[in-house]
Amino acid sequence: MALFLVWIVVTVVFLLLHLIPGDPAELLLSQGNVAADPKAVAALREQMGLNAPLWQQYLDHMAGVLTGDLGASFRDGAPVIEQIALRLPRTLEVILAASLIATGIGVPLGTYAAIRADGKADAVISFFASASLSTPVFVVGSVVILIFAQKLQWLPAGGFTPFSEDPLEHLQLLLLPAGTVALSLLAVITRMSRASVLEVLQRDYVRTARAKGLPRNPILRRHVVRNALIPVLTVLGLEMGTLIGGTVLVEFVFNWPGLSGYLVAAVDARDYPEVVGIVMTISVLFVFLNLVVDVVNALLDPRISLVR
Amino acid sequence: MSRSTRKLILPGTIAALIVATVLLAPVLPLQDVRGMDIPNRFAGPSAAHWLGQDDFGRDVLARLIWGGRASLFIAVGSALFAAIIGTALGLLGGYFRGVVELLTVRAAEIILCLPPLLLALLVVTILGAGTWPLVLALTILYTPNYARVVYAATQQVRGLDFVTAQRSMGTHPLKILVRTILPNVLPPLLVQMSLVVASAMVIESGLSFLGLGVVPPTPSWGLMIRSARGAMEVAPLLLVWPSLALAGTILTFNLLCDRLQSALDPRAVTAGGALWLRPRSAAAKTPAAPVEAPADAPLLEIRDMSIAVRDMELVRRVSLTVRPGETVALVGESGSGKTLTGLAMTGLLPDTLRVTGGSALYTTREGKAVDLAKLDEEGIRALRGDEVSMVFQDAAAALNPVLRIGEQVAEAIRAHHDLEGEALQTRVVELLRHVGIPDPERRARAYPHELSGGQRQRAMIAVAVANNPRLLIADEPTTALDPTIQAQILQLFAQLKRETPGMGMIFVTHDLAVVAEIADRVTVMYAGEVVEEGPVAEVFERPRHPYTAALIASVPEGGAERLTAIPGSVPSPRQMPAGCRFAPRCAFATERCTAHPPTAEHPAPGRVTRCFHWENVT
Amino acid sequence: MTEAPSTAPLVVAESLGRNFPTRHGLLGRAHDVWAVRDVSLTIAKGETVGIVGESGCGKSTLGRMMMGLDLPTTGTMSFDGRDLSALSGPEMRKLSRRMQMVFQDPFGSLDPRRTIGAQIADGLRTHNIVPASEVKTEVARLLEQVGLPTSAAQRRPHEFSGGQRQRIAVARALSTRPDFIVADEPVSALDVSIQAQVVNLLEDLRRDLDLAMLFISHDLHVVRHLCTRIVVMYLGRIVEEGPAEKVFGSPAHPYTRALLAATPSLHPGDGSDGDRILKGELPSPANPPSGCPFRTRCPLAEEACASAVPGLDPVGKHWNVRCIKAGPVTAAQEVPA
Repeated sequence: MALFLVWIVVTVVFLLLHLIPGDPAELLLSQGNVAADPKAVAALREQMGLNAPLWQQYLDHMAGVLTGDLGASFRDGAPVIEQIALRLPRTLEVILAASLIATGIGVPLGTYAAIRADGKADAVISFFASASLSTPVFVVGSVVILIFAQKLQWLPAGGFTPFSEDPLEHLQLLLLPAGTVALSLLAVITRMSRASVLEVLQRDYVRTARAKGLPRNPILRRHVVRNALIPVLTVLGLEMGTLIGGTVLVEFVFNWPGLSGYLVAAVDARDYPEVVGIVMTISVLFVFLNLVVDVVNALLDPRISLVR
Repeated sequence: MSRSTRKLILPGTIAALIVATVLLAPVLPLQDVRGMDIPNRFAGPSAAHWLGQDDFGRDVLARLIWGGRASLFIAVGSALFAAIIGTALGLLGGYFRGVVELLTVRAAEIILCLPPLLLALLVVTILGAGTWPLVLALTILYTPNYARVVYAATQQVRGLDFVTAQRSMGTHPLKILVRTILPNVLPPLLVQMSLVVASAMVIESGLSFLGLGVVPPTPSWGLMIRSARGAMEVAPLLLVWPSLALAGTILTFNLLCDRLQSALDPRAVTAGGALWLRPRSAAAKTPAAPVEAPADAPLLEIRDMSIAVRDMELVRRVSLTVRPGETVALVGESGSGKTLTGLAMTGLLPDTLRVTGGSALYTTREGKAVDLAKLDEEGIRALRGDEVSMVFQDAAAALNPVLRIGEQVAEAIRAHHDLEGEALQTRVVELLRHVGIPDPERRARAYPHELSGGQRQRAMIAVAVANNPRLLIADEPTTALDPTIQAQILQLFAQLKRETPGMGMIFVTHDLAVVAEIADRVTVMYAGEVVEEGPVAEVFERPRHPYTAALIASVPEGGAERLTAIPGSVPSPRQMPAGCRFAPRCAFATERCTAHPPTAEHPAPGRVTRCFHWENVT
Repeated sequence: MTEAPSTAPLVVAESLGRNFPTRHGLLGRAHDVWAVRDVSLTIAKGETVGIVGESGCGKSTLGRMMMGLDLPTTGTMSFDGRDLSALSGPEMRKLSRRMQMVFQDPFGSLDPRRTIGAQIADGLRTHNIVPASEVKTEVARLLEQVGLPTSAAQRRPHEFSGGQRQRIAVARALSTRPDFIVADEPVSALDVSIQAQVVNLLEDLRRDLDLAMLFISHDLHVVRHLCTRIVVMYLGRIVEEGPAEKVFGSPAHPYTRALLAATPSLHPGDGSDGDRILKGELPSPANPPSGCPFRTRCPLAEEACASAVPGLDPVGKHWNVRCIKAGPVTAAQEVPA
């Protein structure tokens, strides 16, 4: 099923890019408003394999995908897979760091808010969760740069240094983009934890646990939070999947040379191999993450069996 | 107006104001959005330009309002289009299932395999930037969301009996969809709608920010933030205004969505946290110091106990006595207060309810008398599961689905005894065997869903008797079970009674026949009050309250040609009759009954009835 | 109690079976799960047939198939001589006027968003029972027939108690002037004092309107009170069927006897019921025992029971039992286990 979905996505993207008007060869060769030399365009089309029938291009492409060859970039001829291998870890790094921050703070915060539901603390937490959920990342990013980089000058405004060159600077540079992504994720996790804990608190088995005479903390730990975590982790997994393609804005704001920013440039230039390669990578990861979520769910919840 | 409806007013008003402002943009006395004034670029707020001027000297306020117009138009437009298409797909897929489902909902869900921003990016770059490509991109993006929500709701509603009733009536399927199903899936649809508007604004502004959305010079919040970034050091306010406008608008719609959800979903009203989890609130009650109980004291003596929610009395002046070794059945229909009375004995009443009067004196193992109704959380916790324990009705819900049966039984023991490791495990298996679970070593490692209904109830009972309680409260423990399984469980209770002669039991049930099988004494409750009590055989032989008599007569067992039905229905706690609460449905009622509540009468030793006419009943 | 009427039966089920194949995993093989197997049943006008059995015995699935809401996997279901599975959509919708259903859950059986009057009028309008101008008076008449005030038509379901809703559901079923009513556990969700109201109502209607009725319930007392003929089901099959007084008075199948013994009574015996309580639990329909489905719990089971499913053989007039050791047994001469 997962493989089938990936195949559909790759096919749809391939067809979309090839069926729409606009000639990439012409686009590549034209400079500003100056039209390209028709001969050069024809030559380039031949070289790029654009003159072959669509089905043949598709079959070539699929054959390449199966052998791990995603083709070469139209723009610089470099293998697409190399670019992806270089940039994907950077994007994943931001997402992972953000997820850790968001879960570490969000679950306890949400649980606390649920226990104090309808109280003052709950109102404050819920309002901040709503507010940070409502503020687009590029707004948060811009404001964060304004405050921490420009006014306070605590952290650099953006950029990237490989970890191998300067670990400290790498982490410093990571902090703002990861923190920005974490803020909205934190809101989602907090709200979800709150709702989930509230729901579990109404369950009969919590009453049973109380009826046994168990003290407060074991009930909270073993019965409430344990059960409440299941939907929270599901949501976290889905959110992370969304983020794989959704860090475009953050990477743009902080000049973080990740995969999503690269995609924007590739789409702009109609660089077919790059676009298809990146989209495929992202959707494979997306589908894979959903699988991981299912597996984690099955581990946490004995009612779901993996074998089915 | 309910609290959840009132909470809708604030975000609703703000949303209406925002919409009105952007709708009225053409007639408002605003500056020209494209009127440049280069000499005054980056000028601060002034009388002519309330929010200042931007990098081309244009009026920020005017651009803000016109920008909101563009954003809202795109967001609301695509939310509407997506709602219409998605609802149609979801309704068809959810109702007809099979191939239709594959072609509608499942097909739409392929879109969900792509991260949303990525998809919008693709569509916009393919079609070029601009307002309509954005609307199209967002419509495509959100259609599967609606399809999913409506599909799920349709599936849920479709299985309900009133839809089956329509089908069996021969109504045309399309008519059922429009007339019966659509109105019932509207609430989640409305919530989804405001959610999508907010989310579409985020994506629209993000794309505009990247330069892929609204095309300049048309004003847009995303674009304004983009250009303000370049001049952040000169004029930070230029960044603040559109950011505030954007975040504020999205926040308004998100709040609207949240509150709509809680207003439309009645279940959410009951969710109010848990008082017992808050350490300090437990000190609200001040327990009386335990005193020595008299030697012949009963196990439990409830005197005139009342339970109320706010000012509404649900249980009124209930008295009940349980002696060691005695099984008292608490019988009544729904709303009689029998379950609440049982819950109050373990301090497990829902947060909104409290004991408002009377006492429940319990004699502990050490021979002390404690008032269960007045103990604080810590005090009652020490008794719960150890001396006083409870068996619940629905074992499937009352057992934790993610913990093994053995662990759940072990937990009950560990809460009161220092038993660990091998010894604990042995005790757990022994208990499971005792309640008749076959192959207890293996079953201890099973999860609740792996057991049958009867075995789950047995496990529930094992949890309750784990510490040899002196008072066992069983709340409708056999109601959800099939007759042959019910018989097995009743047999188990009888066995437990035999083996632990000192244990008292309160057996809460609505089934008179079960009472006859299991109990020694019976207490009949009606509308929150005790109407009659006495030894089971005597009460069933010769009931002394018209309600008890009518209940017995309405059981279709005697072979009578026609059943005796009690006319009318149980009064609501809001409108309790002033005198005898049964009077409106009673064949014996006179003026006296409607004027005064009857006092307790003793027709025979050990029997009580609350009826003026008890002598005429049978 | 009357003998089965001699008129031609209105509803005829011929060896009905319903399979719900369940797939285990995406690539797993589909397992057959027979909810109903080889059930033949006839109901004549004016007759009330009671179906009893525990959850999972297939009684509700059978009810839905007899209503035409679910098509049988095997066998045929005909109503007034017409095979339901051969009918087209419009034909079925037209015929469904004559067959109506009353459901168990009084809170789920009415649309919470529409008035009572509108819901009762649906059937009148769909099948043009009365001219449009008379719909209102007809709704009022129906409400009166089930003992509710005519003012109820303007109100919505949440304003009524469980028993009242069940009366409304009955009024809705009656609106199309049906010949056949399937009542699926219509009183199980009601309080005892209200149950009697609804049971009496159904009894009056059956008599006054000469209806054919299928009454599904797990409550033996109610079934015994209301029904002329009883069908006992176990694991999708009929194990015993016959006149009410025979099946309850001298049950011939060990399961029927066990069911009767397990049902609590206001006048319990001397407590010796203990020996007659069935051991074990219902086997899974996905993996039924070989031979007689009841043999795993049967006190009389012997080797022969495992070899083949016993036939449904007559033990008396209109009285059939699926057991090789069957024989009518009165409570007094109970065979020791």
